[in-house]
Amino acid sequence: MNMANSFLGGAQDRLLPASIPFRFFLAAALFHVLAWAILFVGAEEVASFRGGPGKTLAAIHLVTLGVLTMAAMGASYQLLPVVTRRPLARDGPARLSFWLMVPGIVILTLGMGLATPSTMLVGAALVCGGLLLFLVLTADNLRRASSLPVVSTHGWLALVSLVILATLGILLIVDFESGFLDSHSDLALIHMIIGSFGFMGFLVLGLSLVLVPMFALSQSPSRTPGWLQAALTSLMLACISGAIFFEILSLFWISATLAIIAACCYLWLMRSALASRMRKRLGLSFVLIRASWAMMVLALALGVAWLADAPLPNAPTLTGFVILVGWLLTFLFGILQRIMPFLASMHAADKSGRPQLLSELTPENPLKVHLICHFTAILMCVTGIVINESLVLQGGAVFGLIGAVAFLTFATRVTLKLRHGK
Amino acid sequence: MSFSRRTAQLLHEEHQATIAVIESLDQLLEKSRKKAPNAADPSVAKTLNATGNAIEEEVSNHFEFEENELFTRLEDMGDVGIGTHLREEHRTLLPLGKSVAEKARDAMANGFTDETWTEFRTVSAELIERMFAHIQKEEMALLPALEDLLDAETDMEISTAYAESHG
Repeated sequence: MNMANSFLGGAQDRLLPASIPFRFFLAAALFHVLAWAILFVGAEEVASFRGGPGKTLAAIHLVTLGVLTMAAMGASYQLLPVVTRRPLARDGPARLSFWLMVPGIVILTLGMGLATPSTMLVGAALVCGGLLLFLVLTADNLRRASSLPVVSTHGWLALVSLVILATLGILLIVDFESGFLDSHSDLALIHMIIGSFGFMGFLVLGLSLVLVPMFALSQSPSRTPGWLQAALTSLMLACISGAIFFEILSLFWISATLAIIAACCYLWLMRSALASRMRKRLGLSFVLIRASWAMMVLALALGVAWLADAPLPNAPTLTGFVILVGWLLTFLFGILQRIMPFLASMHAADKSGRPQLLSELTPENPLKVHLICHFTAILMCVTGIVINESLVLQGGAVFGLIGAVAFLTFATRVTLKLRHGK
Repeated sequence: MSFSRRTAQLLHEEHQATIAVIESLDQLLEKSRKKAPNAADPSVAKTLNATGNAIEEEVSNHFEFEENELFTRLEDMGDVGIGTHLREEHRTLLPLGKSVAEKARDAMANGFTDETWTEFRTVSAELIERMFAHIQKEEMALLPALEDLLDAETDMEISTAYAESHG
């Protein structure tokens, strides 16, 4: 039987056609390659980057929009209906959001690289259109969901953060041309914090509550620390935005304390989930996921050191790099290498018509190459930023690029097996 | 996981029991690799005993119940894809489970030769991989859906019938 046919069916079906999440995953893998390539080309300006158009800003947005957001959209479109037990209202807007996002990200980052605000605005308009569709579809799904209130709340908070993030992004681009903002760099910092700890952060914190217990076959984490991490992170984001905008030092320290307690809640939840797991061997993906948790702690420690004016060379760039690449990208690739074969197995059959084995759908070698190169790239780039040496940064970018090509190879092979297995 | 519907809780507990057997089988394979283990060794015998006696019956009753009582209800609601996929997996897992159980019983009676160990290892490795993925899917996509799918009365009715038929 061709199982794919049945998946194309009813509006009540929680399983989307595989082409919807997979197009986002493939695009994310491709943007990952581009991000490292641009970082290589613009390595000279990375360590001293403090905002403003250029190759570093382009590379950052290839990571945040191209990799993190695209993967988050693909995963949310498929996983949220399963988790919330409510099917997506329509497939069409999800497909359209992809076709707005991809050219939007290309045009926006091109504009950033070439420092042309008008190009940036065209790209940003397309990206905002794609994000708006994502927001409406996700909000509609969460609105109809009665289950898993802790996870749904994280979803709502991510969407609120997305609205603030996109609004600030547009304002910052307009300001590149007109210069109407008094505090461009402050708003850029808030934009970066809301993007990483708000939009992406809430998605990571919320989806972890579902995905980590599922992969480890463990008990569901208790709800109270989940509520607490959501409340503390929200409060932290409000405090730090106020602290930056009104330059209140005590609010910075309150924000740092809130962030540390929220991180403790999250790590406690994850530790409990893994401690009660029934699956002992968790595989390569959990090496990345565990490393991402360590990087999250490191990022917070760097943030505190930056705040305390510790003698840390290029502290803003270093902290931003550890947040984006060390924590978020590492976590994303740990999750993505599990959910891609997992979702593919629900759509693909082998020659005898049986569902395909996950091991048949998971080419291990590219993942091993990616893991080694990803960690080497982080280590070299962190060193390059600290010692302000572009050659070391370029070396890191080369490893990042090789790792990204390896991950793209993995993603392509999973997709090809899915296509052949239909 | 904990579920408010008794049916979901029963199935979840069966998943846990199956995982315990599968995990111990996985550890046996990991420990022995290419060298056939001594089937009379107490820890090996315990795993083979659990595999030979529990897997086949657990799996076939569990699958039958899900297909007849739950997937049909999901499909009536229009949620077709997940049930269809899980049925396909059942069709693959059942003969695998039977084969592993038969081989485990044979090993308990006659021990392993290099040849029978290789066969056992191959078929068990496939069962372990498929079973883990299958249970992950059911825990994520099927059991939570029962909260909406079954009203309290139906839940009590089918879970009682299932528990009685089982034990």
